[in-house]
Amino acid sequence: MHVTRVDISAIERELQQLWQERASEAARTGQAVTRALTLNLVARATEPQLAERISAMAHELMASHPNRAILAICRPAADAPQIDAWVQANCLLTAPGVPQVCGEQITIDAHGAATAQVASLILALLVPDLPVVLWLPGATPFNEPLLPRLIGVLDRLIVDSRELDEPARGLVRMAAFERDPGLPAGSARRVALSDLGWAALTPWRELTAQFFDTRPLLPHLRRIDRVAIDYVPAPGPPNPAAGLLVAGWLASCLGWTPLEDAVRVVGDTLQLQLRRPALGDDPNTSRPVMISITPVTGTPDAPAGLAALRLQALDGVTADFRVARADTAGHVFTTAVIAGHPPLHRLARCAEPALIDLLAAELRLLSRDHTFSAALHMAARFASQLV
Amino acid sequence: MSNEALGPPPTTGPLDNPLRTGLRLGRTPEPCTMVIFGASGDLTSRKLVPALYNLARERRLPAGFSVLGFARRAWDDNAFREVLHAAVTANSRSGPAEPDLWASFAEGIFYHRASFDEPAGYTTLGARLAAIDSERDTGGNRVFYLATPPEAYAEIVAQLGAHGLNRSSNGGWTRIIIEKPFGHDLESARALNRQVLAVFDEQQVYRIDHYLGKETVQNLLVFRFANGIFEPVWNRRYVDHVQLTVAESIGVEDRGGYYDRAGALRDMIQNHLTQLLTLTAMEPPVAYDPDAVRDEKVKVLRAIRPISPAEALTATVRGQYGPGSISGHPVGGYRAERAVASTSQTETYVALRLFIENWRWAGVPFYLRSGKALPRRVSEIAVQFRSAPTMLFADTPVNAIEPNVLAIKIQPDEGISLTFGSKVPGQAQIRPVSMDFRYGTSFGVASPEAYERLLLDCMLGDGTLFTRRDEVEASWALLTPILQGWAAAEPLPFPNYEAGTWGPAAADAFMARDGRAWRRL
Repeated sequence: MHVTRVDISAIERELQQLWQERASEAARTGQAVTRALTLNLVARATEPQLAERISAMAHELMASHPNRAILAICRPAADAPQIDAWVQANCLLTAPGVPQVCGEQITIDAHGAATAQVASLILALLVPDLPVVLWLPGATPFNEPLLPRLIGVLDRLIVDSRELDEPARGLVRMAAFERDPGLPAGSARRVALSDLGWAALTPWRELTAQFFDTRPLLPHLRRIDRVAIDYVPAPGPPNPAAGLLVAGWLASCLGWTPLEDAVRVVGDTLQLQLRRPALGDDPNTSRPVMISITPVTGTPDAPAGLAALRLQALDGVTADFRVARADTAGHVFTTAVIAGHPPLHRLARCAEPALIDLLAAELRLLSRDHTFSAALHMAARFASQLV
Repeated sequence: MSNEALGPPPTTGPLDNPLRTGLRLGRTPEPCTMVIFGASGDLTSRKLVPALYNLARERRLPAGFSVLGFARRAWDDNAFREVLHAAVTANSRSGPAEPDLWASFAEGIFYHRASFDEPAGYTTLGARLAAIDSERDTGGNRVFYLATPPEAYAEIVAQLGAHGLNRSSNGGWTRIIIEKPFGHDLESARALNRQVLAVFDEQQVYRIDHYLGKETVQNLLVFRFANGIFEPVWNRRYVDHVQLTVAESIGVEDRGGYYDRAGALRDMIQNHLTQLLTLTAMEPPVAYDPDAVRDEKVKVLRAIRPISPAEALTATVRGQYGPGSISGHPVGGYRAERAVASTSQTETYVALRLFIENWRWAGVPFYLRSGKALPRRVSEIAVQFRSAPTMLFADTPVNAIEPNVLAIKIQPDEGISLTFGSKVPGQAQIRPVSMDFRYGTSFGVASPEAYERLLLDCMLGDGTLFTRRDEVEASWALLTPILQGWAAAEPLPFPNYEAGTWGPAAADAFMARDGRAWRRL
């Protein structure tokens, strides 16, 4: 139901009525209905199609993260200032006899100058004592006017580095936000940053880490001196953010130091030059490390994203570790070839995760992801040389 | 740089893989070969290989992981792979095997045709394992899985020892998983422990009880020791009694021969229910490591007031099902089952009351029950709290106010529910309401099968969820006098409950004597 003049108490009344209707309806059919909320999920859309997708995802998230979703559709370019709000229940389909678990959604549709009121409405509609997560899909999340207005109540900001229109600048901006989200001086609050692009790398990170869970192979990890990261770009200008984050992850985990002027652009390829620490106490064993990030052409139906990640130790005992998309869609081939060992290979599932799964994974985090933070800051060091 | 420059890899201690930091899944085990004795059997097809396939499917197994089936059947590698492919397709929780993924997994499946009692088969087993080590870089790491009838355990263990297969010659590790039943009374359990430990160290031995692989059972420790609000009330001051139930709606199916010798006490109480009891009642361990957890479980078993043979008849209830119907289907009685004696005195239902005589639980009864051919398949631990000390609402229709119950459901719907009284809006009535947590809906991910978790733990060298020698012996020490008391008693008028009912009437009377009742499940 629409509330033409937006009034918080009217929205609250609508919600109450909605729950009473739900409960009566459930009682008639011999079912129970449970209202469950574990977080406030605030999302901003700029057009109705995106709003529909976000709304569908908030509903789907009910299974793992029952939430009050506040969806703000902000269209500042529209001429006439206008603001509408309506409420709906998001319920899970359940088996007969099992209580139905429902969350709720408040949608605010603001046009023109009325978009300036949206932040104050959101602040008034948050469920107290529950975490507040702001999801800003799109190419320029850090230019979003809602962000500074809501920063004081936020627990987590979710963006997607795969959507950034200026990836290098965007990564630098993400790192700056991660370091200082703009809270008032002396504030004890912390705002965690999530990147769905980083979350999509998790299977690749797991598969890469698995090579070195093996005692005989672990020592080779410290000897890696070549890394090749291939990615299938999305339509439009290549976005190397995923490659830079993988490079940042490896460098931060393994203590590699970027050289001065570490980044070179050779054609479409980015080349990063670093130095790995010495092995043991011998300073002479410190070596240069070269990382290349290259866009490759995938098959016509290949999704954008990482296509291959190869780690090599070429100085001394050769060791070659590779994770690469297989011909079977949604799978990768992992290969380890080390002098003195039989080659090891296997096929593993590694489907491109759906957005809803990435979102759910990030919502499971209760605090800052320190591995992401270190990877992001290292990636931003590389990216700053591309700006 | 030479291989030597890398330095020898450490052979023990935790692996410090810096790329693991921040990843949510635990580390992958080192490549190994799992030798399954009884590879042509039901357990291999229904549980073990589907569990291994799903671990591979979930990226939890390393490249190089191998399976070597050991059985008498005249199969070769390819025939064995085909059998297992069909088994995975029929029994895997993830559905039919995915062709490409299966092909990759099956590259590591091999078959070794031999008899358990022929030494030559173990000599060739050693050679076969060495060949797999060199082809698949399994580094001498081995898990022997005894999925055979228990009578074969001692022979296989002795042969492994005699052929030097209890240790890896090339620096790898060797472990052995032994299925239940581990003995049939205290003496046989001790004898089996002596035979096994003459060949393997205790750290190499993983006595498996698949109940410990269930998510809710593991969550019991998290629930108790990671939440500040429950532990303060988890004691005699607040708890009235505890009910532990493992009910099965099936009969003995094709296990009649084994079951008629075992009975419900050996088949369920000695292992599954004892595990649930110890996890419910144990003190906080000093660390979440295998020995600290198992030390506390053993302390519970040692604190249980023994039931002497003379007390066995009054402290327990036995039942055996007769013909009846379950879920609308007529079923025959136990004595009509295949390989069951027509005058069998084997119990298919057992209930007993135990007291744990320590500071936490003194005076709190723990009621355990388990049975076959009951109306529903359900397992749960129910902690019933004491009622409020005074009836503040005595003038209203609340005299029948129900006590708070915390029910930890283990199957079929894993989860936890807390029942408490709440006022009915607009009326002067209090009605029990329940707060439910369900694994199936709360995390949006499928729980792994118990065997998946336990097989992975064994490969990772984590024995926390496996039963230690002293634990298994303490459990038998508690139950053997009951078996002796029953054996010396007059035969019971079996059958004494209809299939599809909640056990014999004597079980209800047993609870009623204490002023309590079994939960309706």
